[in-house]
Amino acid sequence: MARLPTTFGDEIGIALGNLADAATGTLTPTIRLGVTGLSRAGKTIFITALVHNLLTGGRLPAFGPLAEGRFIGARLAEYPDAAIPRFAYEQHLAALTGRSPVWPESTRRISQLRLVLRFQSTKLLSGLRGTSTLNLDIVDYPGEWLLDLPLLGLDYAQWSAQALERARRPVSRDEAAPFLNALAAIDPLTDATDVAAEGLAGAFTSYLRASREDGRALSSLPPGRFLLPGDLEGSPALTFAPLPPPAGRVRHTSLYAMLERRYNAYKDVVVRPFFRDHFARLDRQVVLVDALRALNAGPDAVADLETALTEILGCFRQGQTNPFMRLVARRIDRILFAATKADHLHHTSHDRLEAILNRLLASSARRARFAGVEIRSLAIAAIRATREGTMQEGGETLPCIIGTPMPGERLGGTRYDGATEIALFPGDLPEDPDSALQPDGGVHLNFLKFMPPGSLERNAEGAAVLPHIRFDRALNFLIGDRLQ
Amino acid sequence: MKPPIARTLGQSTQTEETRRAPRSFAPETLTAVETEPPIFDTLVSDAIEPAPSIRRMSLWARLAWGTGAFLVSLGLALAAERLIRDLFARYEVLGWAGLAALALFVMALAILIGREVIALRRLRNLHALRNRGTDALAGNDLAEGRAVLRELETIYAARPDLARPRETLGRDAGDLLDGAEIIRLAERRLMAPLDRRARALTAASARRVALVTAVSPRALVDIAFVVYESVRLGGAIARLYGARPGFLGSWRLFGAVLGHLAVTGGLAASDGLVEQLVGHGLAAKLSKRLGEGVVNGLMTVRVGIAAIRVVRPLAFETERQPVVREFLPELANVAAKVE
Repeated sequence: MARLPTTFGDEIGIALGNLADAATGTLTPTIRLGVTGLSRAGKTIFITALVHNLLTGGRLPAFGPLAEGRFIGARLAEYPDAAIPRFAYEQHLAALTGRSPVWPESTRRISQLRLVLRFQSTKLLSGLRGTSTLNLDIVDYPGEWLLDLPLLGLDYAQWSAQALERARRPVSRDEAAPFLNALAAIDPLTDATDVAAEGLAGAFTSYLRASREDGRALSSLPPGRFLLPGDLEGSPALTFAPLPPPAGRVRHTSLYAMLERRYNAYKDVVVRPFFRDHFARLDRQVVLVDALRALNAGPDAVADLETALTEILGCFRQGQTNPFMRLVARRIDRILFAATKADHLHHTSHDRLEAILNRLLASSARRARFAGVEIRSLAIAAIRATREGTMQEGGETLPCIIGTPMPGERLGGTRYDGATEIALFPGDLPEDPDSALQPDGGVHLNFLKFMPPGSLERNAEGAAVLPHIRFDRALNFLIGDRLQ
Repeated sequence: MKPPIARTLGQSTQTEETRRAPRSFAPETLTAVETEPPIFDTLVSDAIEPAPSIRRMSLWARLAWGTGAFLVSLGLALAAERLIRDLFARYEVLGWAGLAALALFVMALAILIGREVIALRRLRNLHALRNRGTDALAGNDLAEGRAVLRELETIYAARPDLARPRETLGRDAGDLLDGAEIIRLAERRLMAPLDRRARALTAASARRVALVTAVSPRALVDIAFVVYESVRLGGAIARLYGARPGFLGSWRLFGAVLGHLAVTGGLAASDGLVEQLVGHGLAAKLSKRLGEGVVNGLMTVRVGIAAIRVVRPLAFETERQPVVREFLPELANVAAKVE
């Protein structure tokens, strides 16, 4: 990364914020968990499952504090920042555990939650004090917005070059054609008009949305607010588009200069505050990756996912700090790479899924490990929607999963209605993770999306027990050591 | 300088990877729903402290014992035969009575020996189970983890004190897809309560030994008592962990415990010199008998810890291994009371 994603003023703000945290944290320490993942990676489900399992003392045999009987309980608390909506845990849970369960809707705005955890410490000094508390702060946000973080290190010319190169790839020829035609009809050095800028931005936005809806799951499509504008729709900061490098001298009044100003405004008004307020002061990070969707879409999508994740993870502050530096500079000292939706696969394929995940995140993991970060990768399912089984087919035994596919999912010629339960063999994952990135990687895979689990078991208090895969290990890695 | 040389070693044996295409079925076509877990290569971690083993005898030792026992039993059979014959020669009724008594004696002996053999095998199985558990932990092998769990459940199936842990363990382990996690869970649920009771047994024995040593008039008395208490403690701990050793089993167990003590010098890795000094130095300063009491108590504690390590069916992973240090306050209490 050529330049820092923040300004000098931001850095002072971040340092002061950390100092304030350290002062209040002497009584109740706070741990900020960054749940990172592109859209549809499963962030909302992860957070909902985390909150529910901690609140109800769910079935987490591998979560150390709970298994050792030291975890007393958790409660939801008011988030200190009054300007941000609360994470709608109750609504999400109701959607999942209702009579006809559905997955929560795609996240459209930012929300936060603070969980107060109560536990008995094993340390001598803390143990003497009785029970200890720890605040766990979590942020949920639309995954599209995460795509913006790499923009903080790029200026307008660099970003334009990247975006145009991406638009001219043969893969996105159809979707990008109207935008490229509009671009060809415009001279960037003429005097700027709002009409021209809006026309170009409109064409660019339609191209981005079209390529996302195309289903080939291209992941790297910044700027993210173009895909999901929130309450900024139509504002000048969202009315720009990439332009080819200017041929001559750029006048102050030209279209090029205007779009460059707007791009910088976008970074200053939208992206930097988002980064500064939510990502610059994290302690722990979980990177959720929906590798199965990319594998479904093919090698281009997998390569795209790799690029997007590497660029995004480059923005985070990782590494170890000493106790004195931690007063002003917080860093992520543990990262969990999680391949989500592991329940869409038989458990015999989980280690191959983990291998693919490790391949996708290899360069990010190297960077983090160099900084002294502890890393683990797991194939998890925060909520398990399927069961497992085997079937006999033509003399061979196939490991398969049993569940109800979402309405509209297709396999071969069959289209499912969301009510039929099927046993699915989704195809073998490649043994060599590199082959997932090569074009013509062999057999086509088809992972279907499944409906949430139908009838949930209830514990003694009547709270639903969410089935999961390795979610307890994920939790133990992320916060277990802070509950020692 | 030699030029570079390349030589062909034969055709490369790389074959096309076969990958299967996705398919779906209606659930009625399923034949079996329970999944057979995968077989991974098992890794053996050498970082884990080698657990004490119960060794078999060497070939020559077995030959010597076997032939010796054969000769002795031949002699005994001969003697018995002569006895019965003599009895018949005197009075026939006495002969029949003697024969009946002999038959009952042989039957009872056979049953005793059978039980001893079973007890010995149980002791060995526990040891094998610990190795398998360690392998499953290191290799994260699901199939092996589940197999170890089943074994543990059969070992403790008849134990009323473990009914609830068994129940919750069986339920929770079904959700786990990692062999290592299953072993850890089993240790937390099944071993932790047993560990606590084994600690209590050890502490109680150590207290008794310290007390008896402090008040006994003769050195011989307390040596005898230490030996007696150690054997009893070893047996109690073995029964607690499900080994139920018989006479021979106890003997074998005691041998393993002594061997373990000899290897480790009676010290667990985490024990320092403090414990040594407390016994020899400080307590001895207060009173000679008291110092000896504490030393003997510590000796018993070591025997208890060694016995735990010999018979525990899972290696210490999530739970803390007992160390001599944690028993010191108990012994100090006894010392204070005697004062």
